[in-house]
Amino acid sequence: MATPAPIARRVRGLSDRAIAWAFIAPAITLLLAINIFPLLWAIYLSFTNYRANRPNAVVEGVGLRNYERVLTDPDIWQAMQTTAHFVFWTIVLQTVIGFALAYLIDRKFRGHAFWTTVILIPMMLSPAVVGNFWRFLYEPQIGLFAYAASMVTGIPTSEIRMLGDVTLAPWAIIIVDTWMWTPYVMLICLAGLRSIPDYIYEAAEVDRASGWRQFWSITVPMALPFIMLAVLFRGIENFKMFDMVTLLTGGGPGSVTEVASITLKRTAFESWATGRASAFAIILFVAVFGLANIYVKALNKVKQR
Amino acid sequence: MADVVLKGLNKRFGDNQAISSLDLAIRDGEFVVLLGPTGAGKTTTLRLIAGLEKPDTGRIEIGGRDVAGQAPAERDVAFVFQQYSLYPHMTVYENLAFPLKAPVRKLSIDEIDRRVREIARMVRIDHKLENRSTRLSGGEMQRVAIGRALVRRPSIYLMDEPLSSLDAKLRSELRLELKRIQKELGSTLLYVTHDQVEAMTMADRIGILAEGKLMQVGTPREIYSNPANLHVAARLGQPHINLLPADLLEGARPPAGTKTVGARTEHLEIAVSQNANAQVDWIEHLGDQNHLHIRVRDHKLVTLADPYIEIRPGDRINLTLRDPLYFDAGGQRLA
Repeated sequence: MATPAPIARRVRGLSDRAIAWAFIAPAITLLLAINIFPLLWAIYLSFTNYRANRPNAVVEGVGLRNYERVLTDPDIWQAMQTTAHFVFWTIVLQTVIGFALAYLIDRKFRGHAFWTTVILIPMMLSPAVVGNFWRFLYEPQIGLFAYAASMVTGIPTSEIRMLGDVTLAPWAIIIVDTWMWTPYVMLICLAGLRSIPDYIYEAAEVDRASGWRQFWSITVPMALPFIMLAVLFRGIENFKMFDMVTLLTGGGPGSVTEVASITLKRTAFESWATGRASAFAIILFVAVFGLANIYVKALNKVKQR
Repeated sequence: MADVVLKGLNKRFGDNQAISSLDLAIRDGEFVVLLGPTGAGKTTTLRLIAGLEKPDTGRIEIGGRDVAGQAPAERDVAFVFQQYSLYPHMTVYENLAFPLKAPVRKLSIDEIDRRVREIARMVRIDHKLENRSTRLSGGEMQRVAIGRALVRRPSIYLMDEPLSSLDAKLRSELRLELKRIQKELGSTLLYVTHDQVEAMTMADRIGILAEGKLMQVGTPREIYSNPANLHVAARLGQPHINLLPADLLEGARPPAGTKTVGARTEHLEIAVSQNANAQVDWIEHLGDQNHLHIRVRDHKLVTLADPYIEIRPGDRINLTLRDPLYFDAGGQRLA
């Protein structure tokens, strides 16, 4: 009679803590395997002269030399500037247009639900699809974009080489990213605008605030946390922009659209300077992480007002 | 400050006639309370005056001018909403200063500052001027909301149940304060509530609203002792007025056509005597007073009794009427 009791007790004896660990262990294992370990491994590699195309070569520690080379490389600074230009203008355009669209949709005119859906379509497409068909749209001879631009400006289509011209190419990728992701910003802004109760506007109306003043002293400040969130998401996303630029220009012409992630990929998988690429990746990671942290602090401050 | 006149106002929301042919004249400096249950059209009336809704038909005059075509901002009214409706991202000070910063006013910063601090003292929120308006208790928020209305000198103050979300103690405090402030400023005020105590204590005149119709307008005394119909009689008095068949109790002299007799505490005389016609079912002890639940044949009555009266549940008593209210079959009051 005494034998079955201890087994039952042992099974039932699993503490809440043990059960909790049992449930999260698979997730943690995965996280460690595909996120944490590669990160730590990259940190390690960034201090070595390891080259992934020569797995059998002797790996030596080189101290901070990789970091030194990355930070003094003019090509990398050029790529960082290109990235900054791209991130800045996409955020400015997407925020302004996205907020304006949200403001219009929030007026709840006839058919606003239909137009919301239409506006959201670009965001639902795959970046690969978007990159490919914009390449056709930008085509100087047969592309619709060049055709339309030529109609408006009178410049012959053959001279509107959006992807081939050094001054136009950076703007070509900004236009595509804005086209694709403005709906996303609009959606977040719309949530912000919808969160402002009607009675606040009614109170302001009775308090004799003009439409202009209502916009600047109620709409914008109350939607600001949402706008800032949208900027944060778009900023992080575009800092690591890779796929669409690769499809559209591949970093060219020359290297005018070579954003940081493309330089990184070239260092890692064309020059096979794995150690130096790791160092660059770590620098990018720390920069984005640091900026995002500062930004989130500011966001929380705004939210707590 | 100005007179406000409503003439034949009608407002319909879908199938619901929210306001039907409403007439009301509010004199300069008067405190008028609209009393009625939820859905009676009280809030709609205020919103119509403020211009937040447009009437289907009818006329609204503020200070003699027809304001039908005017936007809320042009009407020069102040509104206290039932929800606090403070600007959540602003401090108390900024909330109070907001209406004064309208460009049409052209007030100097010093003048704005002076008025804000004066009103803040009046509504007793001057110690929290720099607080975020979201970091206040319910009572404080509502004081700010009232202050934001008072900081202006509009033609009329419109207040929509401003005290309903406060606890009982704060409500009675603010009730007195509001009345004091209104007298001090000599302001015209239209106040909406479903609380008869607020109506009775603050109003110069009370308007009783039911189903979009204004049943009766008069001083609290008039409304209480001379109700025009059953509905008005039932709105006021605690405990609720007892409605009895005309021939149930002695002592009444019902005029011809009387269907119902309305009897409040002051219309009922209780005697402990042999020829009893009623029985005490139970007694609620409220401390300062007792509610007697009495049964006369099949009818139940509630009345007040002073706490020293020697009656226990089960006692037989004799109940007679003294000058009760008489109503006809349609619920209208008979003289």
